[in-house]
Amino acid sequence: MSNEQSSTLRLTLLTLIMAGLLVALISRLWFLQVLAGERFAQLAESNRVRFVVLEAPRGRILADDGQELVKNRPAQTISAHPRELLNGLGEPRNEEAEAVLGRLSMLLGLDHDEIIRRLLSRRYSPFRPVPIAEDVGPEVIFAVTEHQELFRGVVAETLPVRTYPFGTAAAHAVGYLGEISEEELELEAFAGYRPGDLIGWAGLEKTYESELHGTEGLRKLEVNASGTVLQELGRRDPIRGNDVQTTLDVELQEAVERILQDGIEASRLIKRRDGRFLPSVAGSAVVLDPRDGGVKAIVSWPTFDPAEFVGGVSHDYWGFLNDGENQYPLINRAIQSTYPPGSVFKTVSGSAAMIAGHVTPSTRISCPPAWSLGGITFRNWNTRHEGALDLTDALMRSCDTYFYQLAYDQWLREQNQIANDGSTEEVLQTTAFGFGFGRTLGIDLPSERPGVIPGREWRLQYWERTKETTCRKAEEAEPGTYAERLYNELCQDGFRWRGGDAVNSSIGQGDVLVTPLQVAVSYAAIANGGTLIAPHLGDRIIAPDGELVRVIEPEVLGELPVTPEQLRALQVGLEKVVMNGRGTARGAFAGFPTDQIPVAGKTGTAELKPKVPYAWFAAYAPANDPQYVVVVSVEQGGGGSQTAAPIARRILEVAFGLEETPFREGPRTD
Amino acid sequence: MATTDVDYFGQDRRERLMREKVQDRWMDAYAPVRHLDPVLVFTALSLAVIGIAMIYSATYHRLQLEGLPAGALATRQMISLAVATVAMVMTAVVDYRYFRAYSPVIYLGSLVLLLLVLTPLGVDANGAQRWISFGGFNLQPSELAKVAVIVALAALLHERKGEPGVMTILFALVLVSIPMVLIFLEPDLGTMIVFVWLTFVLLLVGGVQARYMLGLGLAGLGAVIAAFKLDLLADYQIARLTAFLDPGNEALARTTQYNANQSLIAIGSGQITGKGFLAGSQTNLSYVPENHTDFIFTVVGEEFGFLGALVVLGLFAILLWRGLRIAALAKDLFGTLLAAGAVGLFTLQIFVNVGMTIGIMPVTGIPLPFVSFGGTSLIISFTLIGLMLNVHMRRF
Repeated sequence: MSNEQSSTLRLTLLTLIMAGLLVALISRLWFLQVLAGERFAQLAESNRVRFVVLEAPRGRILADDGQELVKNRPAQTISAHPRELLNGLGEPRNEEAEAVLGRLSMLLGLDHDEIIRRLLSRRYSPFRPVPIAEDVGPEVIFAVTEHQELFRGVVAETLPVRTYPFGTAAAHAVGYLGEISEEELELEAFAGYRPGDLIGWAGLEKTYESELHGTEGLRKLEVNASGTVLQELGRRDPIRGNDVQTTLDVELQEAVERILQDGIEASRLIKRRDGRFLPSVAGSAVVLDPRDGGVKAIVSWPTFDPAEFVGGVSHDYWGFLNDGENQYPLINRAIQSTYPPGSVFKTVSGSAAMIAGHVTPSTRISCPPAWSLGGITFRNWNTRHEGALDLTDALMRSCDTYFYQLAYDQWLREQNQIANDGSTEEVLQTTAFGFGFGRTLGIDLPSERPGVIPGREWRLQYWERTKETTCRKAEEAEPGTYAERLYNELCQDGFRWRGGDAVNSSIGQGDVLVTPLQVAVSYAAIANGGTLIAPHLGDRIIAPDGELVRVIEPEVLGELPVTPEQLRALQVGLEKVVMNGRGTARGAFAGFPTDQIPVAGKTGTAELKPKVPYAWFAAYAPANDPQYVVVVSVEQGGGGSQTAAPIARRILEVAFGLEETPFREGPRTD
Repeated sequence: MATTDVDYFGQDRRERLMREKVQDRWMDAYAPVRHLDPVLVFTALSLAVIGIAMIYSATYHRLQLEGLPAGALATRQMISLAVATVAMVMTAVVDYRYFRAYSPVIYLGSLVLLLLVLTPLGVDANGAQRWISFGGFNLQPSELAKVAVIVALAALLHERKGEPGVMTILFALVLVSIPMVLIFLEPDLGTMIVFVWLTFVLLLVGGVQARYMLGLGLAGLGAVIAAFKLDLLADYQIARLTAFLDPGNEALARTTQYNANQSLIAIGSGQITGKGFLAGSQTNLSYVPENHTDFIFTVVGEEFGFLGALVVLGLFAILLWRGLRIAALAKDLFGTLLAAGAVGLFTLQIFVNVGMTIGIMPVTGIPLPFVSFGGTSLIISFTLIGLMLNVHMRRF
C-alpha cells in the first residue's frame, strides 16, 4: 500500500469518526428540542416565574357597640432570608451564615436549632423573609439594623399580628389562633389553605374562620438565577377578612369577669360546717338577652391570655394551661363543662309533673324533711317540716320532698304503662329536652357539650357500657362490704331505671348533667314567655369597607312544652325565690331594689360526693320585662344562695347600672 | 513606413514580452493567494459573527443590571476578532514549511509560557492557574501549546516519511507528555483530554500501524483507570466527570449537576424554532452559568431552537470538510498533518463543548471554537485557519 493511499484511507477513517460525532450531537439535539422540548419549555417557565403570597389581614372581632375585642397590630419582627443563611439541606450555608445564626441566637435568646426550624417553615415563600421572632424590643431592632454587616440576610420588619385591646376580656369567647395541622389541610373546609397558615383554634376565631380569614393575594414575579426580582408580571391584592360584630357587651363582660373572680375568692373565706373553707376551684357565668338569645357576657374562670398565643404559644405557658393544678383555664366552662344542676332543674321537673297531670299550679303537696322509698330515706335540704306547698312555694322553698313524691308517682305510672302497652315515653326526659337540656343548642362557639338527661334507655346503654368494669369490681371487692353489694347490684341489676333514679333526677341530681349555657337558655325561655332561642354571639358580618355582609338571625329552637298558665306558675315561683321573704335567695338579694327591678331566680346546690357541692344561681330581670338572664355556677362553691346568688346579684347591679355592693356571706339555704 | 511598421511590431513584441515578464513575476509573487480557500474563511468568519451576537444576547441583561454598557463583552470579542483576523493572515503569509524548520523553537517557547503560568506571573481563577497577564491582556498558554504540539508532532512524523517506528512513537509521546504534565499542574483536565485526542489523530494520520494504535489505546485506557485508582484527580474533577452519568444524584444535583440541568432546560426549551434573539429566559436571567463562554451553545439552542443549532453545526461541518479537503490535497505529509491536527482539534472541542451542553459529555472548561467569548481561544482558532489556508495555498 503506497503512502498516498494509506494517507487517504486514514483521513477517511478520521472523517468517519467526525461524522459519527456530529450525528451523535444532532440526534441528541433532536431528542431534547423536538421530542422533549415541551417539557423543557415548562421547566424554563417555572424557573423564570415565582409566586409570592400576600397574606390577607384577618378580620376583627367587635363588641355589640363596635369596640374592637380583637384586631391586628403592627409587630416589630426579626425575619431572615432562608436562602442566604441555609443551604438546600437546611444547614448553615457557610461559616458566615453559621456566625450570623450564632449572633441571632444570642440576641433573641433562642436556640440555634429553633431558629433553623423557624426558617424552614413552609408557610412563607422563598422570596420573602421568614419571621423568627415577633414583638422584639427596640434594642434588638437597633442591633440588627445598625450592624447589617453582622446580620447578613436578617431584616427587621413590621408584620400584622392579633392584639386584644381589652386584654384577657372574653378570652374564651374570642379564642385564639394556631398553625393549621396537616390533617386539617386535607379537609374540604380548608381548601386553599397552605401549611403554616394561622387558623382559629378556639372560640369565635374558630367558628367564624371562613369569614375572618380573608383572601390572600398573589404576586407573579420574574426572577433571575440569583433570585433577584426583575419585574412584577402580575398582582392580585389580598382582601382583608370580614369583621364579626358580636352581641357581647364588653363593659359588662369585663365586669362579670371581675365579679365572678371576686365572688369566687370571697367564697373561699366561708367556713363550712366541718370547719374547712369552701374550695370554690372554678366557675362560670353567662349573661343572655332572653329576647333574642344574644350572649351579652360569657365568662369562665380561671381564664387565660389569648395574647400568649400570638407568634406561637410558649412551652411554659402551654404547660401552665394544661396543668390540672390550674383547673385547665382553656376550658370554657359555660359550654364545655357539664355539672349536675341541682335545684335549678326544678323548673323542669315541676313542669314535667304539671304536664303529666300529677299537679296543677295550685295543687298542694306536703313538704316533710324526709321521704322514704323502699327503705331508703331521701331528705329535704331543710330539717324542718314546711307544711303543704303549691308549685310556686315549692320552688320558692326549693322543697326536695315535694318533687320526690311527684317524680315517684310518674315513675310508677311509667312502669305500669311499660307493663301494659309497652309505651316508653318518659315525661321528665321529653320535658327537659323541650327546655333545651340533653342536647347542644348550636351556640356559635366550638365544642359545646350536650349533657345528659338520664332515663330507661340511657340507663340500659350505660349499663352495657360499664357492665364489665362493675362486675369485675364486684368480684374483686371484699365479701360482705357495702362496695361488694353495690357493685353486685350494678353488675346484675344496673340496667333497671329505679324509682330512686327518677327521684334523684327530679332535683337535678343522680346522673343529670347540664351546661351553664343550657340553664341560661331554659331560664331565658321561661323569662321571654316560652320561646327557646338558640344562643349566639355573632350578630352581623361586616365587610372591610364597612358594608354589612349579613345579619346573623336568632334561631328559634321551639316553644316550651307548657301552657301559659303553667309557665306563669314557674315565673311566679322564681320571683318568690328572690322577692318573697321566705325565698331561698332572699338573703342574697337583701337590699337589692327589687321594687324597681324585680328579679326572678333559682338557687341550686348540686351534690357530687365526695366533693363539696356545686353552687348554682339562675336569674332573670326585670321579672316583668326580662332583659337579662344571668346564670352563675361555681365548682365546689358550696350552697347556691351562699356563693352563686351573691355573684349573680352583683352582675345584675352592673347590668342595670346600680351601685355595686361589696360581697358579704350569704345565708345557707339550698 | 515599413520600417516604421517593423519597428512598430518589433517594439510592440518586445514591450509585450517585457510586460508579460513583469506580470509573471507579479503573478508568481501572488500565486498562493490565488489558491486561497474562500469558503473556509467565510465559514470561520460567519461562526465568529454568530458568536458575537450570542455573546451579546447572553450578557446584555446582566451587564445592564450591573450598570455597564450592554455590548461591553460583545465589543471586546469584536476587537479580539480583529486581532484574530490579523493572526490568521500572518500565519497564512509565511510559508508553512518555515514552521517545520522552527518547530523546536515553537515547541520550547510554548513550554516556557506554560512554566510561566505556574510562577507568580500566573493568574488565579476558580482555584486554577491557567493564565498569564500581559498588561491587561490575559493569555492562556495551554491554548498556544495545542498549536505547538500539532506543529511539533507534524514535523516529527513528517521526518519519518509516514512510516514511524516504535522510537518515533515514543518520542512523539514524550513531546506530548511534557506540556500535558505542566497543564495537569494548573490544573486543566479538559485541555489534557484535548492533548490525548490530538496525539491520537496525528499518529493515526501520520501513518502509525494499526497494532501500535491498538496498543496505545489500551495503554491510554490503563492510564485513565490508574488516574482514578491512584487518586491523582481531585474529588471535584471526578464528580464533574461522573455527574452526567448519574443525573439522579441529589448532592451532585445541587452543585455540579446544576449547570448541566439548566443547560439542558435552556436548549430543550428552545424547541424547533427557538424563542427568538434576546428572548431566551434561561439565557437572559442567567440560569445557565458561563453562558457567554463555555455554555454559549445554550444561547443558540434556546433562542434559535433546533434549526439554529443545525445551522451552527452545519457551518462547523463545512469548516471541517474544508479542513479535511486541505489535509487530503496538501503537498507534503507535514501539510496534511497540520491540517488534520487543526481539524481534529476543532472536532474534539466542538463535540466536547456541545456534548457538555446537551448532557452527553462531562462538564469541562473547553470553549466552543469561534463562538465562545475569549480572546485567546478565538485567536488560536483563526491561527489554525491561517495554518490550513497556508497549507492549501502552497499545495502545488
